[in-house]
Amino acid sequence: MKKFGIWIVLPFLLLIGQSAQAAGKTAQSYEVEKKGGHDHAAMMQGMGKTAAWTLYPTLKARMSGENRETMKTAIVPQNIVAANIDAWSNNLKDENAYRQLPMDMGGAMLDKPTNGGFHWLSAREDQGDTVRIASIVQSFNERGAKDPTAMFMRQKHELEIIPQPYPREHARYRANEDWKFLVRFNGQPLSGQKVFLESSNGSMAEFVSDAQGVVKVHVPDDFKAEEEKPAAGSHNHGMRRTADLVLATEYADGGKTYLTAFNSSYGQNAFDQRNLAMGLGFTLLGMLGAAPLLRKRKTEQKSKEADNA
Amino acid sequence: MLKRIFPTLGRVRFAVQIFMLFVTVYGGALLGSYTVNRISQSLPALSCAYDKMTGDHCILIVNQHLLHHRVGEVLVKAQEVTLKVFIPVAISVGVFFMFFFFLNKMFCGWVCPLGTVQELLYRLGRRLGRPLNRFKPENVGRVRPVKWLMLLLLVLALPVMAGMGVVSNELGDPFCQVCPSRIATTLLTADSEQIAVRTSTTVNFALGALGNAMFGFIIIAALAARQPFCRICPMLSWNALFQKLSPMRLVKKDAHDKCEKCGVCEKACPMDIHEIGTQFGKKAFHEDCTLCGRCAEYCPDDDVIQIKFFGFKLFGSSRDHYKLRVKMESPEGQPKGKVFWLAPAKVEK
Repeated sequence: MKKFGIWIVLPFLLLIGQSAQAAGKTAQSYEVEKKGGHDHAAMMQGMGKTAAWTLYPTLKARMSGENRETMKTAIVPQNIVAANIDAWSNNLKDENAYRQLPMDMGGAMLDKPTNGGFHWLSAREDQGDTVRIASIVQSFNERGAKDPTAMFMRQKHELEIIPQPYPREHARYRANEDWKFLVRFNGQPLSGQKVFLESSNGSMAEFVSDAQGVVKVHVPDDFKAEEEKPAAGSHNHGMRRTADLVLATEYADGGKTYLTAFNSSYGQNAFDQRNLAMGLGFTLLGMLGAAPLLRKRKTEQKSKEADNA
Repeated sequence: MLKRIFPTLGRVRFAVQIFMLFVTVYGGALLGSYTVNRISQSLPALSCAYDKMTGDHCILIVNQHLLHHRVGEVLVKAQEVTLKVFIPVAISVGVFFMFFFFLNKMFCGWVCPLGTVQELLYRLGRRLGRPLNRFKPENVGRVRPVKWLMLLLLVLALPVMAGMGVVSNELGDPFCQVCPSRIATTLLTADSEQIAVRTSTTVNFALGALGNAMFGFIIIAALAARQPFCRICPMLSWNALFQKLSPMRLVKKDAHDKCEKCGVCEKACPMDIHEIGTQFGKKAFHEDCTLCGRCAEYCPDDDVIQIKFFGFKLFGSSRDHYKLRVKMESPEGQPKGKVFWLAPAKVEK
């Protein structure tokens, strides 16, 4: 136990040296690094107004602005024509609980609200007997943000796909995970309803809702191994590569056909670039290191024997 | 009846610990997925943000992220350092302090999920007949500075340096990457992701290997030593920074002649704070104290050691409590015979 502290500190000192070498970067290379890593604006570049990977209507959120306090998000409709974006804030009692964001060339601008939290954003195209709806959730992580469950559950359109729940802060949809969604029409759950999934990596799948209108969606593990990986040393909150998915369902009622789609990004499999066997191995190594502590000392045994005698 | 269920302070603390273990590890699953955004996000205990079911986040991950993304990035960009940079840091520390003000370091001794896990393992070690390894007065001083190094290096310096680009971005939250609570609490939710070592870069791998080895060491060491990780935990030093600013205090009589020959409180202290037996007054409330209250429970003299809030006694040592406590468990934590789910009726008085 005497040298316990030394053995704890020493690896960290070695690690700093290793890290500085691996980083090999200075303040000058900072901007380059940032684009490969944590620049949200850079992450959203290059998205057009037509989503080539799906025909379903989708919304794309593009963040802009260097300053975190004034960061804005442009909501761009894809495969859908809409005059504005409907935005619901998670604080339903707020005067901005519901807003209509006008569309311009760059999309509809959503400024960061003071109360932060989750926003539900929808575009609606109503043409004769066809209604098409695209929805996404946009989150501004803020301390003390209200629980968005009531906002998610508030009826916004006739046909809806609602996350149950949506990934909270520090989480996201990831490949090979199961997530639940509620499918409902006019506020009533739809059982036996088919929900289609398409991903920007080319996956397609079909799911059916249960008696409660809940559909369990398996996020496809479809990232190709040969795709370029982020630069070593980049910081991206462990999100690594991302792709887009859309869930869509169609329902006919009263001579009208409704199609609603909910889209989101998703990340790689949780165990991608992780090694469980090695993790268990190092844990075992640590356990072995502590094993001598479990041995009874001879003096202690002798004193116990003496007590017993 | 309540007195039979909770006959001692130790039993009350154990109940609080188990309750808080559920809140900090499974709180999101019990109270709603989004609870984590709403309580504090600055809890003075190792409630891990990597746990997908946690009810709240630990202050240390918030600190690391803010120093990495706010302070470090702005410093390197050489822009005007405005209040906007430091306000989020001040808010997170302020929210932390709102909690800390009332309970002080009880967050370590009563709330921290890793503290509870280590205590449960120690209890298991007693049942398995494992020895107790303690730090003697002459060598405990060698370990104590490590918690300050952990705080300065892993929670403060490296995240800022990562934000400045001096070290790689993987060192933006280095303490989280080696924190045993990250692995322990995620495993408690049947999530094996965090025990799998990251292999994407050398630094990630090194941090992961170190973190896993430390976790393995702590799990086994806790069977034969009390609170092995707490002694080097940066949360202990972080909380020690604010220790004197809370009205919740451990108070010992300025002088008590029996203390010199007794020393039971020293044996009872899970952090091997020998000063509790040898020092008096304010000095007895050591920076390593987690306010578990065991010293007060095992002090055989009336009101020599007290836990006070704003000067009011919440709990004070007493002969009767001491007698009851030693009937159930030795000062070192060795249980006496079978587990008492209810205190014997005769000692109720």
